[in-house]
Amino acid sequence: MTVNDLLNVEGFSAVVLAEGEREIEGVYIGDLLSWVMGRAKSGDAWITIMSNVNTIAVATLADTACIILAEDVNLDESVKETAEAKGINVISTPLSSYSAALKLYSTLKV
Amino acid sequence: MKELSLNILDISKNSVKAGATLTQILLDETEEKLTLKIIDDGCGMKKEMVESVTDPFTTTRTTRPVGMGIPLLKLAAEMTDGSFTIESRHFEEYPENHGTEVTAIFNKNHIDFTPLGDVTASVTTLIQGSPNADFLFKHTLPNGEVSVDTRELREQLGDVPLDTFEVILWIEEYLKEQYEALNN
Repeated sequence: MTVNDLLNVEGFSAVVLAEGEREIEGVYIGDLLSWVMGRAKSGDAWITIMSNVNTIAVATLADTACIILAEDVNLDESVKETAEAKGINVISTPLSSYSAALKLYSTLKV
Repeated sequence: MKELSLNILDISKNSVKAGATLTQILLDETEEKLTLKIIDDGCGMKKEMVESVTDPFTTTRTTRPVGMGIPLLKLAAEMTDGSFTIESRHFEEYPENHGTEVTAIFNKNHIDFTPLGDVTASVTTLIQGSPNADFLFKHTLPNGEVSVDTRELREQLGDVPLDTFEVILWIEEYLKEQYEALNN
């Protein structure tokens, strides 16, 4: 499935859509950025509640397919601009990390 | 990073890479606050570089587009409602007293405070990795102080390199004993 496919699922909306056709190959959940940096895999949808500029940097380093901001966490305008500039997909959901992961599993079998 | 000691190791390595002959790692702890200062006499940074260094998309490394050591330390401090500052004097402008000073202040009682962790391991790893550079480590606690100064060790050791296995082991024990003495 692609990031565009995910956006067709109820509860997921685009904050920054840089590369909609990017394939989502797995899921990683984590909020401690230095921990995620070494563990999230290329192509993962990364679910987190951390939404500062470092989040974008970690997504760049780990080459994740997209960042999913859980629990309606807000993205500052300046961070949004950085995500756009670096070509990072950012998706928002009101769901908790757990519920978002469940939904990814049940509707998209990721 | 799960422990601040890993941040300390990361930032201090930058000092060594900047050609510092002396890197000071100063920890000052009260009941409420932990102040970390890393002061080096390395080549320093120009003004534009200092301004962009907390930006995670800036780095001196060519292997990746972003450098995360400073941004993560800043984030760790700010997550506790603490503060972070960095000052630097570039060698071209300050040929006599160049270097960089990083200060991070943490509120220890904040729920998001990252524990200090094994700072003894960080200091010994640092000395072992750069035996030709000097380090002053000083951890001031409410009930006393733990410190090691490689300049003093060098004087005692003469020609024996600091990364000799027995020397590293001794430094590790020396720091551990000081911490144990404070705990008793």
